Amino acid sequence: MATFAAIVLLLIFPSFRELVFPSTGLGTFQDDPRYSTIRHFDLSEYGGTARGWEHGERILMCVPLRDAEAHLPMFFAHMRNFTYPHHLIDLAFLVSDSKDNTMARLKEMLEELQNDPDENMPYGDISLIEKDFGQKVKQDVENRHGFAAQAPRRKTMAQARNWLLSAALRPYHSWVYWRDADVETAPPTILEDLMRHNKDVIVPNVWRPLPDWLGGEQPYDLNSWQESETALALAETLDEDAVIVEGYAEYATWRPHLAYLRDPYGDPDVEMEIDGVGGVSILAKAKVFRAGCHFPAFSFEKHAETEGFGKMAKRMKFSVVGLPHYTIWHLYEPSADDIKYMERMEEERKNKERQEALEREKQEQLNHHWDSNSKEQWEKDRKGMAQVPEEGEEAAPAEVKKPKKLKEVR
Amino acid sequence: MAFTSARSIRRTNPITLVLGFVLFLGFVLFLLTPSTPSSPASSLPRPQPKGSRPPIRHFQLNNVTTTGDPIGNEERVLILTPMVKFYQEYWDNLLKLSYPHELIELGFILPKDRNGAIALKKLDAAVKKVQSGPKKNRFKGVTIMRQDFDSTVSQVEKERHALKAQTERRAAMARARNSLLFTTIGTETAWVLWLDADMVETPHSLIQDLASHNRPVIVPNCFQRYKENGVDAIRPYDYNSWAESDIALDMAKKMGPDDVIYEGYTDMPTYRPLMAMIYKENPGTDIHEEMELDGVGGTALLVKADVHRDGAMFPPFSFYHLIETEGFAKMAKRLQYKLYGLPNYLVYHYNE
Repeated sequence: MATFAAIVLLLIFPSFRELVFPSTGLGTFQDDPRYSTIRHFDLSEYGGTARGWEHGERILMCVPLRDAEAHLPMFFAHMRNFTYPHHLIDLAFLVSDSKDNTMARLKEMLEELQNDPDENMPYGDISLIEKDFGQKVKQDVENRHGFAAQAPRRKTMAQARNWLLSAALRPYHSWVYWRDADVETAPPTILEDLMRHNKDVIVPNVWRPLPDWLGGEQPYDLNSWQESETALALAETLDEDAVIVEGYAEYATWRPHLAYLRDPYGDPDVEMEIDGVGGVSILAKAKVFRAGCHFPAFSFEKHAETEGFGKMAKRMKFSVVGLPHYTIWHLYEPSADDIKYMERMEEERKNKERQEALEREKQEQLNHHWDSNSKEQWEKDRKGMAQVPEEGEEAAPAEVKKPKKLKEVR
Repeated sequence: MAFTSARSIRRTNPITLVLGFVLFLGFVLFLLTPSTPSSPASSLPRPQPKGSRPPIRHFQLNNVTTTGDPIGNEERVLILTPMVKFYQEYWDNLLKLSYPHELIELGFILPKDRNGAIALKKLDAAVKKVQSGPKKNRFKGVTIMRQDFDSTVSQVEKERHALKAQTERRAAMARARNSLLFTTIGTETAWVLWLDADMVETPHSLIQDLASHNRPVIVPNCFQRYKENGVDAIRPYDYNSWAESDIALDMAKKMGPDDVIYEGYTDMPTYRPLMAMIYKENPGTDIHEEMELDGVGGTALLVKADVHRDGAMFPPFSFYHLIETEGFAKMAKRLQYKLYGLPNYLVYHYNE
């Protein structure tokens, strides 16, 4: 009877097991509920597998933000749609050097997400981290993409990513997902889609939509590439602190870029070995970061930030893969040149409309007043119409066609 | 009705009553014991179960200070120890550190093998004892981890080439350090003290003494006590704290990309000024005398958390022909940090 009671007690209090079988303490690797300040983790349980959602594998999602208030509604639309179980995703945001209202807005939208009546909506642990690095380079598109600004900008970005990761990574994370806030279109199944490949580091192809007059679409992220002999030779000639950046005429590397290999009708599961990775959307096993791989905030093998991360992961013998035909779409933000071009296009459009209106009016008048055909009226109309282009001259000094056409009519 | 129920009680076996009572007691106890996984008292992050909707936490990393007066500013210290064997002397010394324990978090990583299991059992018992003992001795939190990779150097490598085995061993050690570091460093951590499991004697004010220099990275001089003809003596132990030499730099230029330079091999003379030898040859008295270093050992090493956060880790591969703690020193330097050693400030390693 006593043994039966003991068994019942043991079932209720697993921690009593130690009293009875002190030796089993060696085999079990669990937290003792009596000690809230002690925790145990067997890291081999958090290695990450191809179907992590079936094994309750936790993802740490890292989102670096700077002056991103405008992108947040779009970002949260994506957040609501992820099909990976939300409660298995911990979120970490780093807001740095922001002049706008990013933090307040972010908090507000997170509260709303976490208090959603749908119990599948709330995410796991959420950390908001504020840290300023004293950004020297302004974050507008023109500055961001200028060649001279690249190296210091990439180093500060790398620093921010490292701070975010080190503050938020816990022993129980199996995966880390890096995602930029300005992704416009991506499949809601992206986490599972990337995870299924069971690679240490994996990125999709990143393009951006363009207005029709710029060709409709364009490769966006040129940081995912395969190493080339030319680039390796170039690296040899450069100073220790130099950083090679892709997409600039200054460094012709002739590397095969993931972006340019896209076939819109290609198999989205095709893999390509790469050496540099872009940071828009990276899924990596947590063990990659646990092993020490990070985003170099210095020139590592002549690369920094995400490209340096790819290089370091390869150096540490991890698999680094890109999916050329699996594409997500980055938000299109027009550059200063684009904006100038668009203004010119807009002016031309307006002039054209004005011209068409004139033409129409003239035609109407011709039709209407043909009968009268008085010379007086004709002269009056002609003068009146000649004035119209003059009014528009300020906007379009180049347009002198209208009076000419009137002459033709005459 | 009353009659039948009274009779049924009388007929009931006393064993059933006892069992019922035991179950009742168990139920009451079960209700009274707090369930710990969601214990609010714990400061340690744990995985959140579904439906828990944990509050959003906001951290101001701009406000975390790392100064020469860490106690005055209540700066949090994370003590990290990769452990293969549990030494009671290490533990006793750790408990005697005079830095306020409520500002200290401990992190341990052990290999997942038989040695690791034995050390784990002893460590677990020691940790439980202190965490349930007097409040002032308790640490803020303790994380114990088992590593996810094999760190035993293959016998074949050991025999084939001592240097190759050394590289394998140091790479595994580096990985263990990184795994420990990047999963335990938190938003409030100000300092990271690396303290090897075989460090058995340090001044009790170790943390304050090292922090008072307010350097990004600072390392004391690691020696070992031994008996020479029955007389107590000391000898240098850790040769990994050094200043760079031109000879070693020239050596590095001629090496393959994966080759690593090690101190203490006669067939690889680097002529680097070693901190250990500086004290041995010319012992000074000012324990706070500094020297600038290019390589550091990890037996006892104090690092500002920002240095690690910026990315300075322990390379498990040849980084400028350096690896592990020496590679860490190089990486910290690449990130524009300076490293210092205290040649006259001695700490002691276990003597087998």
